[in-house]
Amino acid sequence: MTLYLMAGLLFTPLAWAVLTLLVGFTRGRLITWAGILVQVLVSLTLWLAVSRDGGFYYGLGGWDAPLGIELRVDGLAVTFVLLTAVVASACAIHAGVYIDPDKPWHRYFWPLFWFLWSGLNAVWLGGDLFNLYVGLELISLAAVGLVALGGSVAALRASIRYLLAALLGSLAYLLGVALMYGQFGTLSIAGVVFWLDQHPVPAGSGLALALMIAGLALKTALFPLHRWLPPAHGIARSPVSALLSALVIKASFYIAARLWLELGEPLGSLAAAQLVGLMGSAAVVWGSWLACRQPELKQVVAYSSVAQIGYLFLLFPLTYSVSESVALQARQGMTLQVISHALAKAAMFLAAGNLILSTGSSRVNALTGVSRFLPFSLFSFGLAGVSLMGLPPSGGFAAKWLLLQASLGSAQWWWVLVLLAGGLLSAVYVFRIYRASFLDGPETDQFYHPPRSLELVPMVLALMALGLGLVADPVLSVMALPLEDGSR
Amino acid sequence: MAPQMVLVLLAVCVPLVYPAMALRPGWSRAMRYVLPVLPLPALVLALATGPGWQLELPWLLNGGLWAMDELRRLFLLLTAVLWMVAGIYAVGYLGARNLRRFCVFWGLTLAGNLGLTLAVDIGSFYSFFALMTFAAYGLVVHEGTAEATFAGRVYLVMAVLGEMAILVGLLLAAAAADSQILTDLPEAIAGSPRQDLIIALLLGGFGVKAGLPLLHFWLPLAHPVAPTPASAVLSGAMIKAGLLGWLVTLPFAEIAMPGWGTLMILAGAVGSIGAAIPGVVQQKPKAVLAYSSISQMGLMLLMVGAALADPERAPVLFSVIALYALHHGLAKGSLFLSTGLSVPAGRLRRAGIWLLIALPGFSLAGLPFTSGALAKLAMKDGLAANNLDSALAGYLAPLMTAGAVATLLLVLRYLWTLRSKVETGHNPPLLAAGWLASVGVSLVAFWWLPWQVEGLVRGPVWLPQPYQLWALVWPMLIAVALAAVTLLAKWLVKQR
Amino acid sequence: MTLNAWMPVFALMTSLIAAVVIFALPEKGYRLRTTVNLGAALLKLGLVAVMVWGVFRGVDYGLSYTMLPGVTFMLKADALSMMFAGLSAVLWLLTTIYAVGYLENSPNRARFFGFFSLCVASTMGVALAGNLFTFFLFYEMLTLSTYPLVVHRGTEKALQAGRTYIIYTLTGGAVLLLGIAWLHGVVGDLPFRPGGHFGDADPDIQQSLILIFILLVAGLGVKAALFPLHGWLPQAMVAPAPVSALLHAVAVVKAGAFGIVRVVHDIYGVEASSALGLLEPLAWLAAFTILYGSVRALSQGDLKRRLAFSTISQVSYIILGISLFGPVAAAGGLVHLLHQGIMKITLFFCAGNYAETLGIHRIEELDGAGPRMPGTSVAFTIGAFGMIGVPPLAGFITKWTMGSGALAVDMGWVIAVLVASSLLNAAYFLPVVHRLWFREPADRWPRECRWGKLETSAWLFWPPLLTAVMTVMVGVLAALTFSPLFWAELIVLREYSP
Repeated sequence: MTLYLMAGLLFTPLAWAVLTLLVGFTRGRLITWAGILVQVLVSLTLWLAVSRDGGFYYGLGGWDAPLGIELRVDGLAVTFVLLTAVVASACAIHAGVYIDPDKPWHRYFWPLFWFLWSGLNAVWLGGDLFNLYVGLELISLAAVGLVALGGSVAALRASIRYLLAALLGSLAYLLGVALMYGQFGTLSIAGVVFWLDQHPVPAGSGLALALMIAGLALKTALFPLHRWLPPAHGIARSPVSALLSALVIKASFYIAARLWLELGEPLGSLAAAQLVGLMGSAAVVWGSWLACRQPELKQVVAYSSVAQIGYLFLLFPLTYSVSESVALQARQGMTLQVISHALAKAAMFLAAGNLILSTGSSRVNALTGVSRFLPFSLFSFGLAGVSLMGLPPSGGFAAKWLLLQASLGSAQWWWVLVLLAGGLLSAVYVFRIYRASFLDGPETDQFYHPPRSLELVPMVLALMALGLGLVADPVLSVMALPLEDGSR
Repeated sequence: MAPQMVLVLLAVCVPLVYPAMALRPGWSRAMRYVLPVLPLPALVLALATGPGWQLELPWLLNGGLWAMDELRRLFLLLTAVLWMVAGIYAVGYLGARNLRRFCVFWGLTLAGNLGLTLAVDIGSFYSFFALMTFAAYGLVVHEGTAEATFAGRVYLVMAVLGEMAILVGLLLAAAAADSQILTDLPEAIAGSPRQDLIIALLLGGFGVKAGLPLLHFWLPLAHPVAPTPASAVLSGAMIKAGLLGWLVTLPFAEIAMPGWGTLMILAGAVGSIGAAIPGVVQQKPKAVLAYSSISQMGLMLLMVGAALADPERAPVLFSVIALYALHHGLAKGSLFLSTGLSVPAGRLRRAGIWLLIALPGFSLAGLPFTSGALAKLAMKDGLAANNLDSALAGYLAPLMTAGAVATLLLVLRYLWTLRSKVETGHNPPLLAAGWLASVGVSLVAFWWLPWQVEGLVRGPVWLPQPYQLWALVWPMLIAVALAAVTLLAKWLVKQR
Repeated sequence: MTLNAWMPVFALMTSLIAAVVIFALPEKGYRLRTTVNLGAALLKLGLVAVMVWGVFRGVDYGLSYTMLPGVTFMLKADALSMMFAGLSAVLWLLTTIYAVGYLENSPNRARFFGFFSLCVASTMGVALAGNLFTFFLFYEMLTLSTYPLVVHRGTEKALQAGRTYIIYTLTGGAVLLLGIAWLHGVVGDLPFRPGGHFGDADPDIQQSLILIFILLVAGLGVKAALFPLHGWLPQAMVAPAPVSALLHAVAVVKAGAFGIVRVVHDIYGVEASSALGLLEPLAWLAAFTILYGSVRALSQGDLKRRLAFSTISQVSYIILGISLFGPVAAAGGLVHLLHQGIMKITLFFCAGNYAETLGIHRIEELDGAGPRMPGTSVAFTIGAFGMIGVPPLAGFITKWTMGSGALAVDMGWVIAVLVASSLLNAAYFLPVVHRLWFREPADRWPRECRWGKLETSAWLFWPPLLTAVMTVMVGVLAALTFSPLFWAELIVLREYSP
């Protein structure tokens, strides 16, 4: 049963992409809604199955590694699958209303959307280095296409830049994969781990890992490799920005995290771990600083993504040569951080889109009077901001707590400062938005009021981000579901 | 028990609730006429019920206890009577400007003044004391002139400092006594290692109210600027509250404190004689009376000092102090009330009025057959050197004589200044009635009030013995002589 | 789970649900919104009353569940929480009534009352928190829900004040979070327990415990306006009077002081705190803040700013009381939690009345306002005398109890501080009272509005009078069962002999 589910998760989006390619935007929307329903149901069922039976490996077509494509389903993977289902559905529903159906090239929105979704699922479920590459490429190409969908010169420029960065990253990654294949003779991660258990670590194998991580870092826009992100996320249409910030950059991070968690101990070094952490800290500070100085609303949110990505890379120093409990806390924290950031950032971008639609301008100081006349949209933005600042009871706070515990537990005091300062810095730019909107302006309502459905979607996502902290324990208990022994 | 409880609660609550009448502008006339009635329950309580009852109010503050013993009874009586006659006077005296405000503060001050004589637990006592102090501010600044505002400010600053000193003193004493009841305090203070600090604080704190020298600066400013009936009760009843404070808290009958006793006797001497010096040069009658009050309180301070020095004598001295306070309060009240009189045109009537004005003053000075005579004789016997165990015992007699001289000088000065300021005309009927009542109480009704000086004055109380007569009269003669000399000198200077 | 376990949740839910409903109602739904507001306030008051009675009889209310690995979310009603919860519930009702009148005909009322309800829900959560983690949760929620109230007016000044407020409180929150996280790392998840947990602390962790204490107090001290973390408070006066009343009497400052009480009494325990040498510096800091606040208040010409500095001074009484190692002093400090709340809210209500009815913001404009607005001015006078500590009002009970307590532990210098503070209070309150009653008013008031028969709107008139009556009652009837003093003594009893 689960096997069919897995297949469904990978191949149904592809099927749907083809379907929507054949019709226009409006019909495509209807087909997409059906598709969303299917995907959500399948994801939920898989999740239930895993929580009942535990994780497992699956070779496609009955062909196991090292020859065949191996899929790997554990608690973490299924959590991300479900997350993707939720966020992508939300973005799709929002886009269905938000995107202007009359522009001709918008008919390509749905196909690109479905390609993106299938690529994401491929990454979450992949157990094989090369297949991860395939998934990554699929995601990048679909994302570039979505960015370029606006058609404006700025959008095209941003998408070209994005494409270059993505390709460069993929190249580095591929190089690393090749090196690794040459050294260990297998492309499956589990296989590499198994090999390293048996033999001493060969010299220079760290290079392979370093290359792969560097490439993935570029794709995730880690400081100082982040320059492509703000234009891309800022200029794209809001539902697209939401997808990109929430899910796309998480995909490359997911792979990097998997690699580090499995191969970091034998192949990495303390210096490397701390270096990555340092870059993450720099990202936090730099991203927040720049976010405070942006005159455009979506640029603020984009730079906020740069900053939040920095937190993610704290995983590296916090899981290198630390005790088991600390490593567990770090992993749990990171998972929560990814989930809550995905939900919150998606909510934020969608809400920003609503606000821009209402005020007719994308600048921050056009928000005067919003709090009085458009409270609902502002509220979803505000609640998402709470999660970004890491204030209780949101998921961001739960993540921050666990990371604090991990830092304190492994006596790496300096990350504590980064975590706390980062929260304060994010408050600066979030409250900048609040402040602009609380400013009292004209007495009468001159705003365009978007349809209710547009406003509801970000609210639901923001509430989920907020409530994540309250139900963190059940969520984490799923994530920690053990894998069957994958030794071959 | 029940009628007493009702009376007690009425006595305190009637003036406390009275300010609520100010809510309706239409009731201001009624407020005015209710003024004399306010102390009535208290008066009935003081006269009709015997001393020795107690009322427990466990829900009040830190556990309330109200009671009346002999000492408190006299203070209650003084307060009730004086406020009543002043109230009658006030009905006729007050103008319409800010009438309701005056009545509100009158009621609150009265409630405080009455309540503190009945309170035996620290919480109630201090509460009523504070109520009286702060509400009196409203009486002092009522006129609204620059002088009144300044006087009010000085009064308030000193009063607040005094309140703080009392608070700390009571805190320390209560901690030493581990009790919230005033009657437990003297014993505890006597046995406490912080004895001197506590006594200093209590003496100073209550001393502000009582006009202790060096803490008296507010008195000559505040008493003159208040409206006349308020001055009367300020001088007559409220400064006695400070005295009562000393009497109930300081460790009199417990141990001998020669140091403090001597200090108080000296302070009393300075007060009684020293107050005369600025007093005789005052131009305003009420200012002279204010200094006279300081002087009289000085005499009472002598007795307090003697009681501190000699614990054996303390119970006797207590009754003398209470008697003296009663006498002074009534007489001074009458004197103050007369400052607002207008004298009639006719010679005979005018002479009669002047006689009635002067008599309470002479009573203060110790004129035979008056309450003052009784009080002075009692004081002499109380402070008699052979009975008193104190370093300064021998000096007390000359001090008392000097004090008597000073008293009459001040009274004469008062009459002199009043003569130049007084107006001719008719008095509002209730004003005259109030004043007459005050004179009557001071001179006549005094004898029927329940004071005691057993074993102190022999023979018919109101009739002094011949040798006593001379003792009373010769200081007065000195004073008259001094006054005459001064007048003569002035007239001679003017001739030049 | 039994009904008892859910009671705290119900108490929280009343205002949370009220907030959601109010946010959903249209701006024009005036009557319905007022009904929801008042209904929720009354319901909460009823629930809290039931819990107070239950806690008195020893009933257990509370629930907990694991929120994060190793961390429980715990709600618990004990005597101390009921004191704070009771204060919040009563004063919320009165402030709601007041706010309805105050904000009449002004925009953004739905937003205001929505965040108002959230603010009260957060305060209730702070009161009912059963461990530091839950406390922190609601503490930060309080910060967030009060920001929109501070900036309500939407002017540049309001936004600037809001910015200062957020900078202070979020930084304090970060420091507090560090302390809590560190404590968890060292000893794990500790519920609040009277008598504390560190009675016989391991000497190895003593150093950490001291540092953690400093962090916790610093983080909490921002809201409690301890010197030098008080800077946000006077600036926040730009908010409407109901907000100032709520912030300064009930929610924010008391939450900070309450937190410090919890840390000293229920986490560390007063014996351990004393043994670690933490109580004396805290007492000095509190004493300094008391004097500093009063001295600064002297020079303020704006009425609400003067009241703000007075608050800074008065809240430190609570901290001073509990940092003296003695039950009577602790009772004195705790009872001031209630007393100061009632008195200060009276004063702020009156200040709001003067501003709304006569356009008065500065003290020199108050001349002659007494006869024009007698009810309000009587309430103000009572509140002012209460602050000074004149018996038989609430402030006197506090001062007497604290003074007695200080003597009992041989710390006489505290009495000097109390006296100095009373004198300073007299110095800056009595002139105001004098102006009210004994000066002639100017020809015209700055901006007068008339409301019919009463001196001001009925919504604005009754709340300060009610709280003034409470000030008197709480003082005069202090010896009764269920008086604040009684309750404070109960808490102290359970702390010093658990």
